[in-house]
Amino acid sequence: MSAQRKPGSALVLVGHGSTVNPDSSLPTFTHAKEIRRRRIFSEVHCAFWKEEPSLREVLRMVESDDVYIVPNFISEGYFTARVIPRELELTGAVTRRNGRVIKYCQPVGNDPRMTDLLLYRAKEVAEGVPADKTSLMIVAHGTGLNENSAVAAKRQVSAIRGRKIYPEVVAAFMEEEPPISAWDTLTTQPFVVVVPFFISDGLHSYEDIPVLLGIESQAQGAASHQEVFRRNPYQLKGRKLYYAGAIGMEAMMADIILETVERFDFTR
Amino acid sequence: MIEQALQDYLNGGPLYVGEIIVRRVNPRGYVIRHWKDDQQPDATLARYADTTAALEIVRYDAKKKYRPLKGAPNLRRGWELRVSSVAETRQALDYFYPGAFATWLAYNRDEVLPVDLRETLQRQTGMYRVTQKLTLPQAEELAGRFCQSGSGCLRTILWKIDGHSPRRYLPESKFDSTVDQLGRNYGVIPFLCVEACNLFVAEARKIIKGPAE
Repeated sequence: MSAQRKPGSALVLVGHGSTVNPDSSLPTFTHAKEIRRRRIFSEVHCAFWKEEPSLREVLRMVESDDVYIVPNFISEGYFTARVIPRELELTGAVTRRNGRVIKYCQPVGNDPRMTDLLLYRAKEVAEGVPADKTSLMIVAHGTGLNENSAVAAKRQVSAIRGRKIYPEVVAAFMEEEPPISAWDTLTTQPFVVVVPFFISDGLHSYEDIPVLLGIESQAQGAASHQEVFRRNPYQLKGRKLYYAGAIGMEAMMADIILETVERFDFTR
Repeated sequence: MIEQALQDYLNGGPLYVGEIIVRRVNPRGYVIRHWKDDQQPDATLARYADTTAALEIVRYDAKKKYRPLKGAPNLRRGWELRVSSVAETRQALDYFYPGAFATWLAYNRDEVLPVDLRETLQRQTGMYRVTQKLTLPQAEELAGRFCQSGSGCLRTILWKIDGHSPRRYLPESKFDSTVDQLGRNYGVIPFLCVEACNLFVAEARKIIKGPAE
């Protein structure tokens, strides 16, 4: 895709980051590099909640007066509604401050192509498995801190159901109902494919979710992280369970970030 | 402007920031190394030409342990990053010490407004809201332990706690932007800390909730 050039503008891609997981910020850095390579913006920066540069310092690194902020987050929720605006001192979708215009875009997870990415992951992890005998489970974080957090995952479940590929498509959450640990009662088919609706593989996808699914007895530590995806399928509770990695590293994400910016301009 | 300032600086000589040294080597080339490797023969170092290598170098220390804090004085040695433009140099610099150069320029223009720790903690919500209970003695003890340059963080602290610099367990030099935090007395660019970081806030949470939380 060829995005419109914005020579006087900066892009700030915001990721969650992590103080314990070295891979958490990789998707954000990777997509920023790819977008920088395309020379669409005069500058491209990353900023993180839990890593550096922090949201508090990134705007000092920006020189353009026109700045797009794109949350590299999977859903609207606590971080996009509260933390990012607060830390960047935003007053709304458009913030004017000291001669600068800061444009706060939707999270990348709102892009309609997320559905394709989830389906691609599901197909890839369970190649050759008959879809008509498969339950697809989309797992997400969910949080009591913001009711919208789980909405994006539920929206994906509806969209995937509409495509009529799998006889059963369900959502389950780490911190909301229904819980991931109830996967065997939430699904009925002999094959179960679990796809995390997360930007990056990290603590949640390497450790927390496998423990909730019962495919890891306890947290194994970050050293063994990729191993969990190599042991597919898991024979568990009379079913065959396939566990996929997060979708955020897909190359298509760079296009999705750029379209998130274009969509902002189109709707303003 | 930032790029031009960086180019001007490097035209005048090497740049020291944190544990790295940046040198201009020919009209358009720049070399970045760990300062302790400055005089090492080229052949002894792993050589890189892509700024992305910096992301890998900063991610793990010499013991392959994740470095969540970029200011931690444990940058590994044994590499050289050679890039061909000042733009790439700036990018690499921001991977090693995010925003250090831009913040230093803004500081020199008197445009940096440090944020009192109390304000930072008052702003917190969700799991970090409890840090609002951090007392002054607890905050001073935490700064003394977590921010000290020896094994904590090489940043120069500009923020205060309740209007006072947390000097109880930290030396005067920790707050002086003209001092080299590695104690070499080199002319360095300080890695300025304008506001307590999220890692500091997370440590504050541990103090309030207890380490098991």
